[in-house]
Amino acid sequence: MKAVRGKYYFGGVHPHGRKELSSASPLEVMPAPQTVAISLSQSLGRPAVPAVEKGAEVKIGELIARADGPISSDVFSSVCGTVEDIREETGAGGAAEKFIVIKNNGKDDRAFLPPLSSPSAEEIKTRIREAGIVGLGGAGFPTAVKVSPRTPVDTLILNGAECEPYLTCDHRLMLEKTDEIVRGARYLAAALGVKEIIIGIEANKPDAIEKFEPYEDIKVVILKKQYPMGGEKQLTYVTTGRRIGLPPALPADVGVVVQNVATAYAVCEAVELGKPLYERVVTVSGKAVKEPKNVWVKLGTQIKDVIEYCGGELSAPKKVVQGGPMTGVALANYDVYTHKTTSGILLMTADEAAAEEPTPCLNCGKCADVCPMHLMPMNTAFYSAAGDFEAAEKYGNTLACIECGACEYICPAKRPLIQAIRKTKAEIRKLRQGGQKK
Amino acid sequence: MIDNTVVISTPPHVKSKRTTRGIMLDVTIALLPCAVAGIVFFGWQALILELVSVAACVATEFVYYFIANGGFAKKCKNAGATCKKWARQFDLTSVVTGLILALILPADVKWYEILIGDIFAIALVKMFFGGTGKNLVNPAAAARIFTAISFSVSVFVLAKVEPSLDSELLTGASNLEGLLKDKHSALTALDLFLGTGVAGCIGETCKLAIIIGFVYLCVRDVIKWWQPVLFLGVFGLTACLCSLDITLFLPHVLSGGVMFAAVFMFTDYVTSPKGVIGQLVYYIAGAALLAVLRHLTKVEVASFVILLMNLIVPLIDKYCIRKPFGYVRQKKTKEGK
Repeated sequence: MKAVRGKYYFGGVHPHGRKELSSASPLEVMPAPQTVAISLSQSLGRPAVPAVEKGAEVKIGELIARADGPISSDVFSSVCGTVEDIREETGAGGAAEKFIVIKNNGKDDRAFLPPLSSPSAEEIKTRIREAGIVGLGGAGFPTAVKVSPRTPVDTLILNGAECEPYLTCDHRLMLEKTDEIVRGARYLAAALGVKEIIIGIEANKPDAIEKFEPYEDIKVVILKKQYPMGGEKQLTYVTTGRRIGLPPALPADVGVVVQNVATAYAVCEAVELGKPLYERVVTVSGKAVKEPKNVWVKLGTQIKDVIEYCGGELSAPKKVVQGGPMTGVALANYDVYTHKTTSGILLMTADEAAAEEPTPCLNCGKCADVCPMHLMPMNTAFYSAAGDFEAAEKYGNTLACIECGACEYICPAKRPLIQAIRKTKAEIRKLRQGGQKK
Repeated sequence: MIDNTVVISTPPHVKSKRTTRGIMLDVTIALLPCAVAGIVFFGWQALILELVSVAACVATEFVYYFIANGGFAKKCKNAGATCKKWARQFDLTSVVTGLILALILPADVKWYEILIGDIFAIALVKMFFGGTGKNLVNPAAAARIFTAISFSVSVFVLAKVEPSLDSELLTGASNLEGLLKDKHSALTALDLFLGTGVAGCIGETCKLAIIIGFVYLCVRDVIKWWQPVLFLGVFGLTACLCSLDITLFLPHVLSGGVMFAAVFMFTDYVTSPKGVIGQLVYYIAGAALLAVLRHLTKVEVASFVILLMNLIVPLIDKYCIRKPFGYVRQKKTKEGK
C-alpha cells in the first residue's frame, strides 16, 4: 500500500545516525567458528535448562536446552559438533550465565523441524515456540507469548524503525529479504487472527519504504527520524494513535502486537524451512573497526571472532558496545559471546563515544523536554542521590521509564541519569516486595 | 585490542556535544549586543563597569573554590593542582553573572560598588549554596538589590542623558504614563525601542540589542522562544489592565528592565521550574506580579519579583509533576476495593 506519514509524538532526540558506515554493505554469512559458547539466558525470563550431556554429538539446529516455564525460550545448536563443556561464566550483562560450549566439526548436518505448508493458526504458534523465537529487536521477549495475547487484538505492527544510531541490520534485512519478512508477517497475523498489518519505517530508509509499498496487504507508515521511534509505546502511538497504558499494561490491551522485522523473518524461516533460531544479523560498526559490515552470525560466536572477520581494529576503541549505542551494554573485553538479541557490535573511537565527567545539574529541564514517556528524570536523579527512592518514584514516575537514554543523551551536564533510574527501579521493587511480604 | 583505557558505563554510549560551558558561552554571546549598546550610550564608564564586574565574579569564584578545595592547606602544596581542577570545572557561569549584574545597574555606579555586589553575588548567593546549579535565587538579581540598598544614591539617580531632555521624567518605568501622555515629551516608542536618549541601566535601554540576544538564544536552543514572549505578553496585558489603557502596551513592555529580565533573568535554568507546566505557572505568575507591583510602586521592581518567584520555584516544582505518556486517571470505583 502507498506509504503514509506517521504521527508526531512529543519528545525524543536526534542523535547522529552514523548509519552510512554500514548501511551499504550487503548481508554476508560469517563462517561458523571453531567453537561456540551458547548462553542459556537468551530471552527475558528464566534461563533454559540443558537438554544435552557433555560429550554429546549435536547437529545444526538441534535442541540443546529446553525452555523453563512459559517466559523462556528453547536454545539450539548453531554448529555441528560435540558438546565440550557446560559451564557458568559472567555474561556481558554482568550476571552469571550458563553456557554450553560446542566444538565445531565443520560438517553441515542439520536437524531442522519439518517444514509446514499452509499451516493453521495453532500450528504457527506451536512452531514459533518450537523454534525458540524471541523478539530480535533487543529486549528478547519470547515471541510465543506475544502471539497468544490475553485480550483480542486487531493490528500487527512490524517494527522497522531501527531508530538506534549505527545499527543497519534490520535495514539490510528489509532490503534483501522483503518478501520473507512479508510472508513471516502474514504467518504472525494468521496466528493472531488479525487483518491489518502495519510496518513502520523511519524516513531515513526511503529504499526500504519503497520495497514494502507494492504489497497490498501491508500498510507502510513513514516515521519521523527521531529517537526513540522504535519503542513499543511510541511506535504504536505514531502508527495507530493508540496509547498504551503504564506498566503492567501491554500493547495487546489496546489491540496491537508489535514485532520486529527480524522476528518476522525468523518466523518465516521457521515455518517454511523448519529452521530454528540459531543465527541472526549483527551490525559490526564504529570508526574503530576496519570494515563495518552486516553479517549473519551463529549464536554463541565469540565477539573477538566477529571483529576479526570484519578486518579487526582500525585503532584502539574507547568504548566497545554490544547492541545499539543508546541502550547497549559496554564491554570490558572481547571474550563475550553473541546472543539472540545481539543486534550490533560497535567499536567506538574517543571521538564518537561519550566519556565526559559529569558536571553539576543545571536544572535546565532538557531531560524532561526530550523524554518520550513525559517523565522528569532530573527529579529521579536528585532524589535517588539523596537515597529517597519513594520520592524519586513520586516526582519522577521512574517505574514508567523505558530506559531509552534520550535524557542522558541530551544532558549538557552529562549526568548519569540512566544509572540513577536503574538504581531507583531496583530499590523501589525491593521496597515494594518487602511491603507485600509483611 | 582492548586495554584498560576502555570506558565501561551504563548506556547511552553517545551523547550530544552540548555542555554547560557551551551553553554559558552562548548566553555570554547573547549578552554582548546589550553590552556594546551600553558602551555606545553610556561611554567608557559602562565598559569599565562591565570589565570590573566580570573579572570580580570570576576572581571571587576562583578564590572561594581555592579556599574550599584546600588550596591553602599543607602550606599551599596543592595550590597548583587546585588551580588546574578549577580550570577544568570552570563553566563560565560566573562570567554570565558578572555581565548581567553590570548590565542591570546604571552607569553611574562606582567601580568598587559593583565589585562589592559581585562578591556578594558569587560568594554569598551562589557558592555558599553549593555553586553552579545549587543557588536558590538568581545571583545577579540578588546582587542588584544588594547594591541598590547599599548604594542607593548611585543606583536610583539614573545616568544623565542629553541635557535637552528633562531627566526626571526618564527613569525606567516610574513616570512612564506621564511621560507618554505629555505631548511635549520628545520620547516615542521608537526611542524606547532603540534606547536613544533614554536613561536607565547599562544593558536594559536598547531593546533592539536585547531582541538580537533573544533570537540568538532561541536559535541556539538555549531558551524556548515562548518563555519571554509569554512573559512579556502577560506583563503587557496586566499593565494595561492596571492603567486601563490598551495603547500603553508597547511602552510598558519597552520601558525599564522588563524585557532584559524576561530574556536573560527569568529564563535562568537554575532558578526556574523544571518542566513545561511549572514554567507556564512561573512565567504567567511572575509577569502578572511584576506588572501589578510596578503599577503600585512606580519604580522598577523586576529584581525583587525575580527573587520572589525564585523562592517559590521549589513549591511550583513540587506540585507541577507531568503525567507520564499513557497515564490513565484511576476510576474512583476501583479505589474502593
